[in-house]
Order: sequence, then structure tokens, then C-alpha cells
Amino acid sequence: MAASIITDEIRAQIGQLTQAPVTAEITERDAQRYALAVDDLNPIYFDESAAHAAGYRTLVAPPTFVGHVVAATRPLSELREDGLFRGGSKLKLGLPRVMAGGDAWEYLEPAYVGDVVTAESRLAEITQRDGAKGTFVTSVVETVFTNQDGVIVARLRQTAIAR
Amino acid sequence: MSAQVFVEDVAVGDELPVATRNASRAQLHLYSAATWNPHRIHYDVDYARSEGHPDILVHGPLQGAWITQFFTDWAGPQGRLLQVSWQNRRSAVPERDYELRGRVTAVDMAAGDVTIEGAEQTPEGDVLVPMRAVVRLPRRTGG
Repeated sequence: MAASIITDEIRAQIGQLTQAPVTAEITERDAQRYALAVDDLNPIYFDESAAHAAGYRTLVAPPTFVGHVVAATRPLSELREDGLFRGGSKLKLGLPRVMAGGDAWEYLEPAYVGDVVTAESRLAEITQRDGAKGTFVTSVVETVFTNQDGVIVARLRQTAIAR
Repeated sequence: MSAQVFVEDVAVGDELPVATRNASRAQLHLYSAATWNPHRIHYDVDYARSEGHPDILVHGPLQGAWITQFFTDWAGPQGRLLQVSWQNRRSAVPERDYELRGRVTAVDMAAGDVTIEGAEQTPEGDVLVPMRAVVRLPRRTGG
């Protein structure tokens, strides 16, 4: 077992916000650029009448876009060697390589174009493991997405792997 | 987009239509831009190799978007995605085919809720991303 990367200070962050809450509007242009970039041309993202016919009140944002609209924007001067932002998270592991480990989404209400979404992210779990490629740390951050009416539209448990 | 599927038409063991995805380098670039993602492993081949990767990598959440679309396309316009999850176990690279395959593992006829489990995998069957979803389908009989 390698030395513990997860200090008491890091463990004390479980349940705490990983960054200040972020609020952002889902604009038609941003949502559609995302849909085009992932190559999902579902008409409910582009055609108001198709969205109505499918039972929505207006254009819908692609479900996973909700996680990106609230991406914290930082100046280029804060980029690390690997391109990630230094100031992006309060969780400081001192590990240089970070990979996405997977998402678990629960969708409660549609997120519509024009909604103003607030994301609150809290550290849920952090675990150190020894694998074939050395020691790594998995963290799970839970994010709750709330719209302008105070309605929770989605919950996300997002796993990251740092080594 | 397929025609609307109704919960009465679905049974445990049904296979969803297979979808194939192949990311171009331009798509990875646009996805990084659309999501404000500056991570170098997605656009700098030399840097990606310095981290031990064979090439630049397809973003884990981009594969998550493929997976999400796999389920929403199947659920049709009147279907609703209630839950979706995936685990990025192995990395994907651009300009390669990956298949999305899913099978119905539970049907709650009263609620209209259908559970599907599957994976994103290579054409040879090597699993990259196990995945699961719950979708709510409309009833043919109304209500």
C-alpha cells in the first residue's frame, strides 16, 4: 500500500461543496452547438413544433448538456501542463493525470432552452486504490441541478480517476 | 429517430438496435470547444502519448452522450429518460468504430418503465463502457 494521498484535510471535504455554485442560462445556441458536436440531431433540440409534438413546452436541451452549461470558466493563465484548470476544484490531490470514470444521471424534469440552471457540487466519496498501473484515487462528486423555479431537474454522480 | 415504441411491445430479453459510433478528430475538437474542455489528451497526440495513451482519446462524457442518445432514440419522442449511467473502463480513440448494444432486463408494465443494460464495445466484443438506463415508455392503451 502506497502512502496515503487522501489526507484528513481532503477527507474533511466529503459533503462539502467542491466549488462555488454555478448558475447559467441554457441558450438555444449553446445547447444546439452541443447537440451538433455530439452528433445527436433529435428534432426536439432544434424544432419547436417537434418539441411540442413530443409533449415539451419548448425546445429541450440534450440531457447531458445540463452538466456542461454550468462548466466553470477560468482564464487561460490557470491552465496546468495537462490543460486542466488549476483553480477548477477545491479538491487538491497533487496527482497529475485525471480521467473521466463515468456518470450516473437521474432526470426528474426536462431542462429547457431559456432555463437558468444552478449546479451545486459536493464531494460524495473518495477512495485510494492500488492497481496494475500504480496507485490511483477515485472521487465521486454529486451535483444537483435546479432551475429558476427552484425545481430539481437532474442529479448527477460523476466519477473521476486521478493517478 | 425511430417510430414510437410502446411498453406493451417490450419484453425482457429484447435487444435494442445496434448503433455504431466513430469519432473524427474534428468532432473531438468541436466537442472540447462546445463543452469548454481544454484537457490536452483530447487534441495533442504527443502529449497523450506522454501519458501512455496510444492516441488522443475520445472524451468519456462524449461517449456518455452517445450512450444517452442510444437510449433516447430508442425511447422515441414520447419516451422519457429517467436514469442513465455508464462507467468509462477503457479508453476510446478517434477513427475507430464502436458499437452500442443494449438488452431489456426489466419491464414495469404498470409504470411503463423499462430497464436496459448493455455496453459500448469494439466490433470484436471488447467492452469499453458498461451502461444502464431506465426509460419510461407510453402505453398503447393510453394513460
